[in-house]
Amino acid sequence: MRDIAIIAFGQTENKRTERLLNEAEMIAPVVGDLLKSVGLKRTDIGFTCSGSSDYLAGQPFSFVMALDALGAWPPINESHTEGETAWALYETWVKMQADEEIETALIYGFGRQSMGSPREVMTLMNNPYLEAPIQPDTISQAALQARVMIDKGIATEKDFAEVAVRNLKHAKSNPLAQCSGDFDAETLLKDPTIASPLRKHDCPPITDGACAIIMAAGDKARELCKRPAWIRGIEHRIDVQALGQRDLSECPSAKLAAEAAGVSKGKVDIAELHAPFTPQDIILQKALGLGDDTVINPSGGIHQGNPMMGTSLVRIGEVANRIINGEADRGVAHGSQGPCLQQNIVTVLEGE
Amino acid sequence: MFTYRLELTNSCFGSFFPHLGRGLPLRHEGSTKPSKPFDFFGSECVDLALVVAAFVLAEIDQAWDRPGQDPPYLMVHYEPSSKQGAVTMSEFPISFTLEFPYTRTPGPVIGRFLTGLRDGRILGIRSGDRILCPPMEFDPDTCETLALDFVDVGPSGTVENWTWIAEPTSKHPIQEPFAFALVKLDGADTVMTHAVKASGPEAISTGMRVTAQFREERVGAVTDVYFVPEADAEKQSIEPGEGEVEITTHTISLPYTDTLYPHSARFAQGLLDGKFIGQRTRDGTVSFPGKGYDALARVVLTEADDVELPPVGTVLSYTTIAPIQYKGQTETEPYLTAIIILDGAGQTLTPQDIRNIPTDEFRVGMRLRAVFKPAAERDIDNVDNDWMYPSIGNVVDHWESSGEPDCPLDELPESV
Repeated sequence: MRDIAIIAFGQTENKRTERLLNEAEMIAPVVGDLLKSVGLKRTDIGFTCSGSSDYLAGQPFSFVMALDALGAWPPINESHTEGETAWALYETWVKMQADEEIETALIYGFGRQSMGSPREVMTLMNNPYLEAPIQPDTISQAALQARVMIDKGIATEKDFAEVAVRNLKHAKSNPLAQCSGDFDAETLLKDPTIASPLRKHDCPPITDGACAIIMAAGDKARELCKRPAWIRGIEHRIDVQALGQRDLSECPSAKLAAEAAGVSKGKVDIAELHAPFTPQDIILQKALGLGDDTVINPSGGIHQGNPMMGTSLVRIGEVANRIINGEADRGVAHGSQGPCLQQNIVTVLEGE
Repeated sequence: MFTYRLELTNSCFGSFFPHLGRGLPLRHEGSTKPSKPFDFFGSECVDLALVVAAFVLAEIDQAWDRPGQDPPYLMVHYEPSSKQGAVTMSEFPISFTLEFPYTRTPGPVIGRFLTGLRDGRILGIRSGDRILCPPMEFDPDTCETLALDFVDVGPSGTVENWTWIAEPTSKHPIQEPFAFALVKLDGADTVMTHAVKASGPEAISTGMRVTAQFREERVGAVTDVYFVPEADAEKQSIEPGEGEVEITTHTISLPYTDTLYPHSARFAQGLLDGKFIGQRTRDGTVSFPGKGYDALARVVLTEADDVELPPVGTVLSYTTIAPIQYKGQTETEPYLTAIIILDGAGQTLTPQDIRNIPTDEFRVGMRLRAVFKPAAERDIDNVDNDWMYPSIGNVVDHWESSGEPDCPLDELPESV
């Protein structure tokens, strides 16, 4: 297995609405700054892969427009994942395993949710015959998941609120965070429910934003970065789509992915969980086998910002950055997409 | 004339959840306009673009409204238009609806299920010793194809799980507060996601009994049915339809809103003025319409880079379109459509319809001039920020011969 590392990560400020810049204009400065930070020119990059969804901004081929951020001339070696960008990073990792001539890679993701109605857009991921026509939106589905946890005695509404309190507290140290602050669960619980038992603090913010990562292989990574964040395991697994076929209080595919990626092979200093809704944070901690000695979502997690389709890459980047700067030695990044954590990807990162 | 910048802020919780609620007040800052705080809909200072932008932002997700809290507000900065640069909003709000009218064949399993709903029955399928409802084509554990062995289940069942939707969206199947629930129908081993009509959240609970109610008009779709508390169920007598459901339709309709970016706004204003405005990039080619930045040099382009192109160009290609009928199609007769590149442009125009030149006289290399409509008849309703298929609005009346000799075929301009 070829040793591949993340050597740099950057993201835009997470904004509720970015009305003045298009996708390419959001991405361009992130990519430019990132290349500069490791001393690479855009023409030095061996492979480029992005993640996005045309439905978010309602524009066909928005990923092609986004290529303008790269100055893709002469033609570049490039691919795209229609979905969460952690999977684009996985594609890149596989590509770099197969093609040893590729020494460096750029992965970027972006989402501009503010133009459309995210709650309606995301219902499209459901079965188009049996579920999508009745519009079980993401908040409603997550609420069903939350109710199972309450009915089974796994967690309470206060436990959900505590996840938001923790994330928002951690986000205070994140200058790019969209939401942050000191709250207490009791106060948050006084809010009305949106889809019972979920309240606003249990739901992800709507964000316009972009993010990017540079990966490098072997000695190239050591040359460009003092302390690369090495990918020691990266695996993804999928559960059956229909909610009625699953025990929503668990996430078997995340558990399988974590086992395959080798999460338990060492102490996990930090973990970034792509849990759009607070109950999912609790499910994932268990599925990934994370204990009390792991700091969960030091960046603020989903509450720091949700540049949907880029959100999973931010999780990887936030773990990588803390390894690169020496704050942590070993960390786990989780990404998800699909209704109620249907698809899960787990990346284990280590410093040397 | 003033331009303005919008900033989203939130008076509650500082940076926490900086979203917008309904009926938000506007505040405004700056010295070039009267500096009084003003109400959103009441102010003379608010012009159309602002109202639309603010309304749009407020519409985005009602789930983020926060009753009982100070509403968030828009901060408006007025700046003299001479300062107009990359961070000013254009005065052209745009909105569009993305629609996909899907027609699908449901196959032998889902087709039988939908046929059942049309006929007032709910069918599950046998998978080993379990009954799956809704039915699946494959065993979810082994992926084995399931035999077409259907079993009637329901019409009553048990709520395994539920959530109360206090404010339904316009897309939800019940247009009053309702519950989504996972319902295990009597005789089935798996649960179905569906809507339950109940008087309130206190009228629904895990373990409660519900009964299917079929709608008066049924089309063979999952929306033909909904659930009510068992005690509220009305006895229904349903006349089965004819034949199997072999086609199911599902229209996706998604609203989007934006404003034209500043360079797009100048392009659009040019169209209204009867001009083609592009942007000169660093290598000398003219991007038409401009993108606001130079994709190769990776620098921002400004108003200083705008150039007007002549309304004259060369035909690079053409074809005759025989219109097929689809939802939204307005053409009925064959017509010519041509790829034209304006003199000096780096890209071709989107295909231009040619109605006035006979097909047998039309040819590649032909030189054409755009004849603009009278100013009052020009509109830019379909101009948006999309530069891959950029519209030049509805401003050109027709294309006519420029009177120049054809461009020789080996000298046709290059384009991307």
